[in-house]
Amino acid sequence: MKEPDRTHPREVLPELPPEWREAALRHTGEVRQRAVGESGWWGTWCLFRKEMHRFLSIAGQSIVSPVLTTMLWYLVFGYSLGDRLDTVNGIPYTDFLVPGLVMMAMITNAFLNSGFSFFIGKVHGTVVDLMVTPLKPWQITLAYTGASVIRAIMVGGVIWLVAAVMGAGTTYNVGWTLLFMLLTSAAFALLGLATGILAKDFDHINFIPSFLLIPLTFLGGVFYSVKMLPAPWDQWSLLNPIVYMVNGLRYGMTGISDVPVLPGLAMATVSVVVGLVLVVWLLSTGRGLKP
Amino acid sequence: MKAILDIRGVSKSFGNLKAVDDISLQVYPGEIFALLGPNGAGKTTLIGCISGLIQRFEGQISVAGYDVREHYPVVRQLVGLVPQELNFDGFFKSRHVLEYQGGFFGVRQYRKRARDLLADFSLSAKADANSRWLSGGMKRRLMICKALMHQPALLFLDEPTAGVDVELRDELWQYVRRLRANGTTIVLTTHYLEEAENLADRIGVINDGQLVLLERRNELLSHYGERWLEVRFDRDVRPEQFSDACCNRIERIRENQLRFYFRDSTMQEPDPEPVLPRLLEEFREAGLVPLRIEGGRSRLEDIFRKVVGNHAAGKGEGTR
Repeated sequence: MKEPDRTHPREVLPELPPEWREAALRHTGEVRQRAVGESGWWGTWCLFRKEMHRFLSIAGQSIVSPVLTTMLWYLVFGYSLGDRLDTVNGIPYTDFLVPGLVMMAMITNAFLNSGFSFFIGKVHGTVVDLMVTPLKPWQITLAYTGASVIRAIMVGGVIWLVAAVMGAGTTYNVGWTLLFMLLTSAAFALLGLATGILAKDFDHINFIPSFLLIPLTFLGGVFYSVKMLPAPWDQWSLLNPIVYMVNGLRYGMTGISDVPVLPGLAMATVSVVVGLVLVVWLLSTGRGLKP
Repeated sequence: MKAILDIRGVSKSFGNLKAVDDISLQVYPGEIFALLGPNGAGKTTLIGCISGLIQRFEGQISVAGYDVREHYPVVRQLVGLVPQELNFDGFFKSRHVLEYQGGFFGVRQYRKRARDLLADFSLSAKADANSRWLSGGMKRRLMICKALMHQPALLFLDEPTAGVDVELRDELWQYVRRLRANGTTIVLTTHYLEEAENLADRIGVINDGQLVLLERRNELLSHYGERWLEVRFDRDVRPEQFSDACCNRIERIRENQLRFYFRDSTMQEPDPEPVLPRLLEEFREAGLVPLRIEGGRSRLEDIFRKVVGNHAAGKGEGTR
């Protein structure tokens, strides 16, 4: 039997009927023409819609459940402690509590939406379908982050609205409030996406909310003013970035803040930029995704 | 002839393991090319390098003249991939899975395209079923539909008929032939050599990350193929009793049964060499009486095993 060349087998051309070759050349030309003119915006819009569709298809779990849980926090803490604390920094405790609870719900939902969605794609193997598309890394980032921000703002917005209906005075500066909601949810959506890209199992996805986000949020002045803490804890708390985000939102809703609001705005903006750069870099290099 | 897929000196390692080792290969417009190899040979890794799943590799790959890394948005419009592993998106109905996948590639008429593909692959009844609840064969068909949503010019089918029944496999083969006739170039990896034998124009054999053989299907069968005659004698017999000239090689099947192999360089003709009279003469000279004679020819599977075995033996690893 003839021995094959073990390094580079000789070039052998296929023998094809000319009509097959012509059909292939024609089709390739058509696809090339279409491909060169495609910007990727339609694809980005479709990915955003798919992500919206995904969390809305489980709205009971993705929207209703976090709203209910947060409203229970509001009722239990607001009405049980509210009578004893009366006012905090000059406003009723129930009003003081709303921005913290809104921020807590938004951080968790923004993070989990993008993180879980991307990671589940890795588990089910459908991430391959995304990686072979012509979408650019920043377009994928934009679509995932956009959908997560919408979910977080829906959850936060409903909590804000229900609290207002229940009598909370939380409409001091709506523009500032929406700006902080947008920036913080974008920052945590990006953190969630980066975690989803890098995660190897479900523990990695749960690790950051359980051991980082919830402790930092609880210690970030959601339920109390950091000014009420004894030294040195009041100063230590200022190292927690979530303190600035909670207080930025609290300023927008009630007009009071434990910390200056502009550094808070700067911190939220920088978080978004850093998250954006990190996620685009991860998707561009394929780290966590491609060998 | 200008290649639609041009692979030049591509290598890819995972730690100390060289999954793809300096492969150069061209695939031409309109052909069905079959890439064969044992598990772990490097087929899927090579496809990953072409389709964008693997970015860090040595060498150059271009599709229709576009470098796969430099011009990836264009290349990915040109390429469609049906991955080996079954996947599903449990949040969506089958039609939504297709519509969104088409949308990612900029397909505006994605609803119509999804409807047509579901009909082509006999999945219309499952259009509104969650993809999680489809059977394995249906999931495989849905994956093929996904890869076809953007009407790629070059389609990679990585083990497309793994786990599907014979009827569906035949339907799929027909669809593949139709796709090619309509202008799609197809690269197929498969373990089912019958699939390559039925579909492919050219066949490449890959082993230990190296392309060890590249031939047109018919020439592969005629160059590397053999015919054989299996003879049962009236008494015990040994291969050494026959001259080297009688045949290419002899295999002892039982004490009184031998298989005589002949080179089959002109397999298309009914009986190109008068082997039987020569063989009968040898039997007569040895005083042997043939009781039963059966004939056959090697299939692609035998050739594949031989080529891979020779390659492994050449590396000092023994025959697989």
